[in-house]
Amino acid sequence: MRRLFLAGLVLACLAAPRVQAEDALNPPRWQSEGVFGTYDKAALQRGFLVYQTVCAACHSANALHYRDLDGIGFSTEQIAALAAGVKLSSGPATLDDGFKNPYPDPAAAAAAFGGAIPPDLSTIVAARPGGTRYVYNLLTSYAAAPGDLALLPGHYYNTAFPGQQIAMPPPLKDNQVAYADGVSASTAQEASDVAAFLTWASAPNLDVEKEIGLRAVLFLVFLSFIAIATKRKIWRETV
Amino acid sequence: MSEISKPWLQARFPLLDSFRSTMTAPVLPREKPYLACLPILITGALVFQLLSGLVLSLFYDPADGFDSVQFIDRNVNYGWLIHGFHETGTTMIFGAVYLSLFRALWLRSYKAPGEILWFISLAQFILLLVIGYLGYVLADGAVSYWSLANTVSGAFSLAGLPGGLGVWFFGGPDGAGTLPRLEVFHAVLAVAIFGILLLHFAAERGLAPRENRGVGLHPYYTSQIFAAFVVYALIFAVLVFFAPHLGENPLNRGPANPLVLPVGVTPPWYLLSISNVGHAFPGTLGSVFAVVGRLALLFALPWLDRSAPAKPPGFLHKFLVFVLAVDTILLSLAAMHGPSLLGSILTVIFTAYYFFHFVVLLPLTTALEAR
Repeated sequence: MRRLFLAGLVLACLAAPRVQAEDALNPPRWQSEGVFGTYDKAALQRGFLVYQTVCAACHSANALHYRDLDGIGFSTEQIAALAAGVKLSSGPATLDDGFKNPYPDPAAAAAAFGGAIPPDLSTIVAARPGGTRYVYNLLTSYAAAPGDLALLPGHYYNTAFPGQQIAMPPPLKDNQVAYADGVSASTAQEASDVAAFLTWASAPNLDVEKEIGLRAVLFLVFLSFIAIATKRKIWRETV
Repeated sequence: MSEISKPWLQARFPLLDSFRSTMTAPVLPREKPYLACLPILITGALVFQLLSGLVLSLFYDPADGFDSVQFIDRNVNYGWLIHGFHETGTTMIFGAVYLSLFRALWLRSYKAPGEILWFISLAQFILLLVIGYLGYVLADGAVSYWSLANTVSGAFSLAGLPGGLGVWFFGGPDGAGTLPRLEVFHAVLAVAIFGILLLHFAAERGLAPRENRGVGLHPYYTSQIFAAFVVYALIFAVLVFFAPHLGENPLNRGPANPLVLPVGVTPPWYLLSISNVGHAFPGTLGSVFAVVGRLALLFALPWLDRSAPAKPPGFLHKFLVFVLAVDTILLSLAAMHGPSLLGSILTVIFTAYYFFHFVVLLPLTTALEAR
């Protein structure tokens, strides 16, 4: 009976990732979720494309440098080419430049958006309850305002945003970017990918963290068995 | 045995001999539980905390607090790991401290002759709360920025001595000079706590009964402490790597913004039970009264407990201590996600129960059990 149960468990574990790979949008799922989650580099690279084409037009990500992008699987040459395409006031960006801030100072950003400064995206997933899922929901929950609601000037109705009125216009639409890997760029897919990228931006060390963590925990589990057994053996000799 | 027939080093450096005989002298009681290792584990964890804090302080810049923490996390080699050690180390230390306070209440070890040891543990607890709060403020996030602003303006609104203390400690209204100042206090107090730990071990050693046929520290208690240490390290590793920001307000991981007040200015879990008590009373003076009252009751415990010193704790006492622990946890949870109507009502109820326990229930039940 127990063996059957174990076999079932193993099968379930094997089957689970396959189900996930089929459709990660209904319901939305990310590989980085969960205790043993790691990043899906393909999704991160697609997300970076969305970030660079859409988000970076208004949002800064001051804690990130172009060199950090090797963490999402780009080679140094690819990053150098990417950076060279970004025009800073000092000329084309290099690997060691920070991500370009679209506005020279917060006052300029505030003036451009009627006082609502687009928040810095470096830690946005870490700094919002719900994290990745919140960003995805925010990007996909624009709707027509209910008839009895008078929106503030320059605001849009968004059911995922606290207060339901957000100053950011709906940023994503279908086929706004063309993915190199042929994934169809629906709004939901773009939102999912950019949420994955922003998760990486908030916690770039997640993969290493899980790897070191697994080794440390396994080692300490064995060590604690040995330590407790030693203690019991030593104490048995007292009487 | 003449001096010269001893091994070369022992004849010339007898310290090793006396160290060995101290380590193995069979004077310790048999059968101390694993939880009796907590003070040693806390000491070890504080040393580790001091070391990780030392590394962080090399890169931390109070003039640019939030950005320098980001720099540590992203650009310093293994900075994220050291930062994680420091952050989760705090959680582990407070977990151990709360557990040992609970154990003292449960076993009634604050009764004579343990009063001084109890005061020392409370002083250590309060100092840790202050250090923990300062560390939280140094993160300079969207929430802790406002927490500091509220604390400083609260301190300044008090008249007389408490207000004077506020001026002295914070050095003026919340501004560019505040964080550099608090960084120094954070570090100095973190070193000062080892003085209190020294007192703690001296008091504990003085109180411990010397056994005629006991066991030695080595190998009996060293093996026990090692086992306790490894289990502690295991829990630590699980939290560091798989639940790194346990019990923190996620909003605090965004940058401080002087123009945006976050929805809930809630501290990390280990400060919640103290800060929520403050919210149960109106006004700055009410908060100060509540927090001071809460801690003062713990100091009054040896006298509030009317039982005879040597009497083992009865069932009713244990039950009430357990309820008090549940009350403290619920009080922490009540306003964890910011203010709400239900949260405010529950906070008042749980705070009221805390005071009711110490002022009414405890003297009454212990007097009843003593008869």
